[in-house]
Amino acid sequence: MYEGIAASRGIGIGSVCRIIEHDLTYENHKPEDTEAEKGRLHDAVESFKKETMEMADDIRKRIGPKEAEILEGHLVMISDPAMVGEMDKMIDNNQCAEAAVTAVCDMFINMFSSMDDEVMKQRASDVKDIKNSLLKILLGIEDINIGKVAPGTVLVAKDLTPSMTSQIVKENVAGIITEIGGKTSHSAILARALEIPAVLSVPGIIDLVNDKDTAIIDGTEGQVFINPTGDVLSTYIRKREDFIRKQEELKKFHGKETVTADGKKLELFCNIGTPKDAKKAIECDGEGIGLFRSEFLFMNNTHLPNEDEQFEAYKEAVQTMGGKAVIIRTLDIGGDKDIPYLNLEKEENPFLGYRAVRYCLANPDTYKIQLRAIMRASAFGKVKIMLPLVTTVDEIRSVKAMVEELKKDLDAEGIDYDKNIEVGCMMETAAASLIADKLAKESDFFSIGTNDLTQYTMSVDRGNAKVAYLYSAFQPSVLRSIKNIIAAGNAAGIPVGMCGEAAADPLMIPLLIAFGLDEYSVNPVLVLTARCIISKWSVEEAKALADKVMELDTEKEIVELLKASAKD
Amino acid sequence: MVSANVKVVNAEGMHMRPASLFCQTVTPFQSTVKINFNGNEFDAKSVMMLMSACIKCGAEIEIKCDGPDENEALKAAVDLVNSGLGD
Repeated sequence: MYEGIAASRGIGIGSVCRIIEHDLTYENHKPEDTEAEKGRLHDAVESFKKETMEMADDIRKRIGPKEAEILEGHLVMISDPAMVGEMDKMIDNNQCAEAAVTAVCDMFINMFSSMDDEVMKQRASDVKDIKNSLLKILLGIEDINIGKVAPGTVLVAKDLTPSMTSQIVKENVAGIITEIGGKTSHSAILARALEIPAVLSVPGIIDLVNDKDTAIIDGTEGQVFINPTGDVLSTYIRKREDFIRKQEELKKFHGKETVTADGKKLELFCNIGTPKDAKKAIECDGEGIGLFRSEFLFMNNTHLPNEDEQFEAYKEAVQTMGGKAVIIRTLDIGGDKDIPYLNLEKEENPFLGYRAVRYCLANPDTYKIQLRAIMRASAFGKVKIMLPLVTTVDEIRSVKAMVEELKKDLDAEGIDYDKNIEVGCMMETAAASLIADKLAKESDFFSIGTNDLTQYTMSVDRGNAKVAYLYSAFQPSVLRSIKNIIAAGNAAGIPVGMCGEAAADPLMIPLLIAFGLDEYSVNPVLVLTARCIISKWSVEEAKALADKVMELDTEKEIVELLKASAKD
Repeated sequence: MVSANVKVVNAEGMHMRPASLFCQTVTPFQSTVKINFNGNEFDAKSVMMLMSACIKCGAEIEIKCDGPDENEALKAAVDLVNSGLGD
């Protein structure tokens, strides 16, 4: 068994086809006519551009615009005057076209690969791809046609260049193994887009296999088996079937309502960080946005974004969601999120300090700009305002008073907004949990933030490896807190959501159903998984399990019982 | 010759797309456009040179323009960087 990087999920079983790199050596000769030699180079560059453009068009149509960007990048690079210009200069100095291509490309390859930046290092493989393509054209070498491999082929290559990947026919390729490349390499991105299992960075694999060997690729675990025994093969055939069955099962949940096994309708929302992510939420079948973090506007900036800049960003997300709810969390800075231009003082205990709603209320001029921008966006869909880190009733009252004041201003200015815009609390502190009944009377909704709630309830810094073992949302104290918050919201008749990682946790979901959570907000890619798990539990079954769980004393016992009761 | 200091604010820094947009924006100007970063000077009309500067989010760069339309070129370059380079 060989191990590598798990780059694209799934199990692939098939027959090896090695992609051996071409011999691109050439005889260095002095060109007789440098102008003619430059002409030969320019012809090669033109035919490279034409091929690349055609491949980019093909990928754009077959896979998507994002995947085509790689090849479009090659076009931009070869069109740079610094590239062909430098090559011309070398030919003027009596070098042949092949030598000119090699020298100029190698210079850029060395420059990019020495950079201390993963994404920039990828540019080195782009230039290498350009260099090889140009040399092949100059030397008149034809490529193996990957598009023509037999069904059930496992491609084994040193590296899969974008030009190779673009020829892959999804139906014929069972898996991909390479010697180099990481999770964010072109090969990985394309393999995932094509849903072909891939394991990358398997050292020396190309010399360890022969053509027609049988290979198993576990792209979920990053494992490769060559000529496996019958036992291993049958295990993986079963694993492959399971994987395919699960994927098919999940696809069936696309476009469906989120309901429990006994028909209780729940809401399944998404967490997003930028307006563009809203598109992803829609693609993944999210039913709304349960958490739109507004920090991106402030963090990727050199100055406080003004009202119009903020309004445009919120409006974009709201319009993308087309009438579905968008819960915007107001500025949650401080703690681990610093914004240099605000010149906040360094604090001894930033997580217990001047942050989130505390900062906002102390800087009403800044905060009102954000509230106004959100309120203006509410004219274009269903928008809700969520306050982070609430610990007292005064905080929500103050914000609501500000919102009322801003309504008068907007009315006076004749600016449109949703007059019934809801204001709610993010429930993420022990204080908020203990006065959840009081806060429920003041709030239009609750949303539980499990990451901070766990940290504050357990008094544990999860970044500290020595105490990280305490950081678990399954600690009895955290579960009691979650239960209490949901009960308080239910009693007051307001909807309660959860926007932490726990909302998509298969072990947590039955407990949340039992406690009466209304809205689950998850990473867009987990929407179908969460919907599938919710569909397997009836409220009654979930309650029976939760009753047992809440009797247990330790986190370990709780997790064990939940694992034993989990539904596959 | 005119110059200005700006901070790169887009999350990706001067990667493929932002660098290529930057080149496209400054190339039509007659003036030369250079970027000073970390003590080195780079030709801003070359996407390869721009990327080779390895300019990341938060980096302070100096843009220098020299030529008949240097003021217009500088303004276009500075505005583009401040707007987040198309990200």
